[in-house]
Amino acid sequence: MSYKPELTGRWWLKHGHFKRYMLREATVIPLVFLLCSLLAGVFSLQDVERFSQWQAYMAHPLVIIGHTVALGAALYHAATFFVLFPRVMPIRIANYTLPARLMVAGQWAAVLAVALLCLWLVTGGRV
Amino acid sequence: MTQPRTCYVDISRYDPERGDQYPTMQRVQVPYDDSTSVLDVLQYVKEQVDSSLSYRWSCRMAICGSCGVMVNGIPKLGCKDFVRDYVAHKGVGRDHAANDAPALTIEPLAHFTGERDLVVNMDEFLTHLEAVKPYIIDPASRPNNPSAATHSQTPAQLARYQQFANCINCGLCYAACPQFGLNPEFVGPAAIALAHRYNLDSRDHGKHERMQVLNTHDGVWSCTFVGFCSDVCPKGVDPAAAVNQGKVESAKSMLIQLFKGSSIGDSRS
Amino acid sequence: MKQRIKGLHLEPLWWGLFSAGGVCFAVLVPSVVLVFGLLWPLGVVDVSFTTLQSWYQSLWGLVFTAVVISLPAFHAAHRIRHGLHDMKIGYGGSTTAFVCYGSAMVVTALGVIAWWSA
Repeated sequence: MSYKPELTGRWWLKHGHFKRYMLREATVIPLVFLLCSLLAGVFSLQDVERFSQWQAYMAHPLVIIGHTVALGAALYHAATFFVLFPRVMPIRIANYTLPARLMVAGQWAAVLAVALLCLWLVTGGRV
Repeated sequence: MTQPRTCYVDISRYDPERGDQYPTMQRVQVPYDDSTSVLDVLQYVKEQVDSSLSYRWSCRMAICGSCGVMVNGIPKLGCKDFVRDYVAHKGVGRDHAANDAPALTIEPLAHFTGERDLVVNMDEFLTHLEAVKPYIIDPASRPNNPSAATHSQTPAQLARYQQFANCINCGLCYAACPQFGLNPEFVGPAAIALAHRYNLDSRDHGKHERMQVLNTHDGVWSCTFVGFCSDVCPKGVDPAAAVNQGKVESAKSMLIQLFKGSSIGDSRS
Repeated sequence: MKQRIKGLHLEPLWWGLFSAGGVCFAVLVPSVVLVFGLLWPLGVVDVSFTTLQSWYQSLWGLVFTAVVISLPAFHAAHRIRHGLHDMKIGYGGSTTAFVCYGSAMVVTALGVIAWWSA
């Protein structure tokens, strides 16, 4: 005689760690929305008229809100994803393990570099 | 001396011999001070309140791994978890007693079959542990082979796996792992961490045998890096890291098998 | 041959795509959504059709499709598949996996078609 409590589909509501895990997994929902917008964008590049339609769509307040959420989701994903990297693939050079904090900082530096490159492309440089 | 502070504790009780279908909560008032552990609470209840209470314990110093329980829903070693961390200081503990609200709820480890009170069926973890052969496999050093060399190892070789060697088989990580809760066939954090520990050991030649278990859907691939297993580990093993390093190893081993026609570490290769 | 494929499955492939997509989602997507989702619609920066089109028609357009659309789509597919399993939604592992990764493949195909016809 014994009992086995079965997990329901709502086990992740039990405490904060599981809720943060589910939030991490849910960052892909606004990502899917963004991917749909971008897919529409690349199709609109075939002629000017469709491109201006896409521009109008991108400027819709609800779409801007959706993309703001996507930006937040991407940054939250980054914050959770970067700390996993040194744990999954620790880098060892000879007998020295690269400190995890250095690897996390390096990844954030990459985010910053890409952002600066993008801003340079669309403002300063001739795209 | 002042009166000892007291607080209320809810303890999950289940006795199939009494005809219980499901566990019920028993509320008890217990004295505590700054050094009272959850295990001390259980000892007090068994000695002073209700001698029928069943729970596992042995060393009282976080090395035997017997006294794992859920405290307020989080897997903990009873001997390494203290009442002082659950009740606010400055005599608020007395208020706990006054308003009868439990400061702690002690339950058996989640995701395991409950057998009696706080005792669970650890076989559900131990069968997975056995399956990954958590010991050094070296065909050349059998007892009947006198010419076998001794197992020497450099500090650098030790450092590769040392972190994963600290596991005490307490099972807290299984109680923390929702993937094990959803799928009891999942080999699980501790067993995979120990498999990884032996795979990384320079003296071992059994990787091929272990990868056959880790490569399956119920091996490393059931993990979604929830990471809670590593948070609750009382020995800092970081089983989540081991499982996900295991995914890299599993991917390599499967790729090598695909191209070579035989798997990694296979004696025939 | 039997020995060669014994016990193999596609999880390492999906996990590899998930991981690569995760890096792209974390490193590239913030900038892309910042520029095209916020700064451009709000008029902070200006992106003209012709420059964007000529850039997209080069090989960079295909690279963009791969790292900003396709790989993140596989990343999303992997997490949605496991999220559904976590919430005990769906009819079983292989059906969910088929729908999720299938959708990511469709997104990839659409991205390549858009680039090819641009």
